Amino acid sequence: MILRRFILGAAAGLPMLAAASLAQAQVAPDTAKTFIQQSGQQLVSIVNSGASTAQKADQLRQLVDQIVAVDQVGDYVLGRYKNVVTPDQHTQFLALFHQLLAYNITFQIKAYQGITFAVNGSSVMGNDTIVDTTITRPGQAPSDVGWAVDEVNGSPKIVDVIVAGTSLRITTRNDYASVVTSNGGQISALLTAMQSQIDRHKAGN
Amino acid sequence: MLKNSVLRFLGQKYSRKSRALPFFVVSGLALGGLLSGCATAPPKSDAEGYQAYVQQNDPIEPTNRVFFNINDKIDRYALKPVAQGYVDITTPGIREHVGDFTDNIAEPGRLIYFMFGGKPRDAGTSLVRFLVNSTIGIGGIFDPATSLGYPQTDTDFGLTLAEWGVPAGPYLYLPVFGPSGARDVLYLPAAYFLTPVEAAPASTALSVFSYSETGLRLVNTRAAFIDPIDQIEATALDPYATFRSLYRQQRASQLQLIDQRDTPTVPDWYPQPAQK
Repeated sequence: MILRRFILGAAAGLPMLAAASLAQAQVAPDTAKTFIQQSGQQLVSIVNSGASTAQKADQLRQLVDQIVAVDQVGDYVLGRYKNVVTPDQHTQFLALFHQLLAYNITFQIKAYQGITFAVNGSSVMGNDTIVDTTITRPGQAPSDVGWAVDEVNGSPKIVDVIVAGTSLRITTRNDYASVVTSNGGQISALLTAMQSQIDRHKAGN
Repeated sequence: MLKNSVLRFLGQKYSRKSRALPFFVVSGLALGGLLSGCATAPPKSDAEGYQAYVQQNDPIEPTNRVFFNINDKIDRYALKPVAQGYVDITTPGIREHVGDFTDNIAEPGRLIYFMFGGKPRDAGTSLVRFLVNSTIGIGGIFDPATSLGYPQTDTDFGLTLAEWGVPAGPYLYLPVFGPSGARDVLYLPAAYFLTPVEAAPASTALSVFSYSETGLRLVNTRAAFIDPIDQIEATALDPYATFRSLYRQQRASQLQLIDQRDTPTVPDWYPQPAQK
């Protein structure tokens, strides 16, 4: 059951696959809990609304920009390559990262239909404040999903999604690093791979 | 994850006659792979790159990727279509109970792994789970033990070895079975023996049950993974690296959970040591 819960939880958290950033400042547990409660309600209301898929995608993109520290997440995912990337490549990377996040969320909308969301509690873990939630989708076992929240530019933002101890920001960082190392350390290869995936998403829509 | 679960289910559930062959085939292929394809380490002058290579600990990555692609084909053209058909003819409730049933059969194995790993509380939980679910839970079809405060904690011989201090070792991606490692792969021979099917007298009926249970477990689990794996394959830039990362994080998390749930408690009546 553990494995099932893990993998289903991973699916539930995948829209935030790349959600991560360097720790900025710690958020009080109660503040983080309220923030996730409100963000979750917004997410659920959009996904379960009667709007078209395109409308939902637009609304979700706006919501993600509000509640996820996307730029900081991108820098975390870039990891050690942030030190070798040129300013132009960095700008291009962040732009592609925003687009990819948006397309990944759009891809997930159908899977999210009928979702319910319950906040269980919050605790401080290292530099992050983790808010534990249970996400339920029709026909699926409930998934326990943790949301790492940091204070970024004075307001709480999501920086990671944790499912059964598995950090999605670390997973994404490893995914991207593999692309770079497989191509002789060339950041341009990562940018090409990101662009190719965006093109595939566009072709599939 | 799929590949890891396939590894577990096949490894734990092959019947007496059928288990030996895949294991030796896998061993042979893995050994062949070890000899044929190795990743090239970056020069030590590239300190960060070299450190990342060491942390990645995937020295036979080219070979692992070959097996990853083979498994992907097997999954795409065989396992996934069967699992989709299974989902079409079953309800979520049925699939949940099938999962409970197959999990219950593996519970005695967990009990022994916990005992060998020096985890008495986890072992006790496994024992209670097996007794309660096999009786009140009607042969494990239901899972009343979780409601009674005895949730399942997953383990295997690889995690027992980890409790003994054996390091994970290089990453291995096995044909058919999926993600593993130099330490974790040793759970295959252990799982060969640690199943109630092994303890029962050999018979045709038992073999049929074992084959059926193996197949059902495999399909039922793949069915639960249809959406997640589709999503990973659609969103990851390098699915091989993504599965590798998820596998390693999950193993670390399983170890942490085993330790968390084995916290010893002291009953109220036990004399407390004097405070200094």
